[in-house]
Amino acid sequence: MAPFPVQGVVEGDFVVLLVAVDDEDPMSVVAEKIAYHAVNRRVAAREGSPRVRHNGKELAPDETVVTAGVAPLDVLEVSYA
Amino acid sequence: MPRLARSEWYDLTRDMNWKLSYVTEEEAWPEDLSNSYGVPAERWWTWDEPYKITYSEYVHNQVNKDTGVYSVNSVVGRSKLFEQLDPGWKAAILAHYGAIAIPEYLASIAEARMGRFGRAAAWRNMATFGTLDETRHGQIQTYFPYGLLAKEPRADWAHKALHTNEWGAIAARHLFDDMFTANDAVSTAIQLTSTFETGFTNLQFLGMAADAMEVGDLEFSALISSIQTDEARHAQQGEPTIKVLVENGRADVAQKLVDHMFWRSWHVFALLTGLSMDYYTPLEHRSHSFKEFMNEWIIKQFMDQFRDFGLEKPWYWEEHFLPELDWYHHALHLGVWYWRPTVWWNPDGGVSAEERDWLEEKYPGWNDTFGKHWDVISDNVRRGKPELTLPETFPMVCNMCQIPVVTPAGYNAGHLASPAPFLLDYQGRRYSFCSEPCRWIFEQNPARFQGHLSIVDQFLAGKIQPPTMEGALAYMGLSPEEMGQDAVNYAWAFTTRPAAAVAS
Repeated sequence: MAPFPVQGVVEGDFVVLLVAVDDEDPMSVVAEKIAYHAVNRRVAAREGSPRVRHNGKELAPDETVVTAGVAPLDVLEVSYA
Repeated sequence: MPRLARSEWYDLTRDMNWKLSYVTEEEAWPEDLSNSYGVPAERWWTWDEPYKITYSEYVHNQVNKDTGVYSVNSVVGRSKLFEQLDPGWKAAILAHYGAIAIPEYLASIAEARMGRFGRAAAWRNMATFGTLDETRHGQIQTYFPYGLLAKEPRADWAHKALHTNEWGAIAARHLFDDMFTANDAVSTAIQLTSTFETGFTNLQFLGMAADAMEVGDLEFSALISSIQTDEARHAQQGEPTIKVLVENGRADVAQKLVDHMFWRSWHVFALLTGLSMDYYTPLEHRSHSFKEFMNEWIIKQFMDQFRDFGLEKPWYWEEHFLPELDWYHHALHLGVWYWRPTVWWNPDGGVSAEERDWLEEKYPGWNDTFGKHWDVISDNVRRGKPELTLPETFPMVCNMCQIPVVTPAGYNAGHLASPAPFLLDYQGRRYSFCSEPCRWIFEQNPARFQGHLSIVDQFLAGKIQPPTMEGALAYMGLSPEEMGQDAVNYAWAFTTRPAAAVAS
């Protein structure tokens, strides 16, 4: 378990965020941690579960930061599509 | 005793050029301080300033300018004028003082460097006047806010800002170090005087002076108008410098220096002037939108300059610069307002129903791209949820301009292919940029920029303790009393129409 910085972009938001996740967090948790800083704050609440894209590929909800091969300060895009 | 006309003696007395014999050219003009870009020494002696002035004329003019502007200061200081100014306008002038006053002092270093290391005597003569100008500008723009301290303690940031690690101050310091305190004389003439002063300070000092008169801020209007009269003179050092380079086959050098600094200046002025003109200036006193000012004062100016000098438009002009006029400063305003505890002024949301109508008229599509964020924010204000309008983490910051990365706003507005930042992995370190031109500037000279740690890099390196928002605010030098708050206590949120009404 170690803090892990990523660059988070929430669909519909206007800014790239520095978000601290944990390297053993599954993507379902990572998505919530990133979305927390934008949804209901600057982006209207959305239906459904947030998903994470990394380098153009959607990551499975149970993949962790480590198993997905995410590097520090990689860009993770969160969407609700 | 009969006096000679100036034209009969001016050229003789200012031309103190001679061939060196006791020292080498490199010893007298080291490249780090005065890069000739390969143009031989005697070719520089053709440098001819378009605006000629003698020392006695200079002193006479400056005394009159100071007499006028300090008289206004004295009268206004005894009045209630400042107290009666709109809170949004106060944000505009406090932001200006913090970002500009000390850099004016720094600009006197730049002028002094050209006064010593300029490559022609005529140039060194003109730069000596420029040194005196910038000293005056530093003094006057710290003295006037000093007089406001009893009425507005944040005016202290006119002197304080550039001595802190506040993020906007870092952005200003990084820009001005690149442009002049850490630049050689030839590059300074092109980047500071020709690119920055002839274009962007025109916008800040003449555009803002016009707005100040509309608002009724006679003091600020008189102050910056007075400064601009000096800028208009010493800014002309760039033109003959470019001319020498172009005539000696180094147009490529001039082009790259302009391309580099035009982009950097644009980003800082979008942050400073864009917000002031389109959000902080009271609606009834806005003479133009920021974009209209940019078109009138900057774009035309530079298009004429490119044509006259035989330079090209910067490579990013059509694809990156012109599109950003429609979205970039709107995103920065949203960011500055949301992260308002991190700035030394009180940002005005500036999005009442009438202001939103004006924004939509000036920037068609504003409601779809930016209004929807303000809908959520306004709703949280009205529901009594102010905690949702305040940050709990940081935005990423561009490793070139040091300004938050707002690429998702450009993507939402249809101007960028992706919301992701522009990345560069270089010698084992990841750099993030807000734009293709900022990355390009870095790649032109990585050694110049790669060692700098942005405020986010410093946070990640453990230099900000505790590693929390509170720790970061303390690191930036902001006491709770100084942190920005909404300028009008969210009054705009209670006039905003529901999103459905806006859409219809």
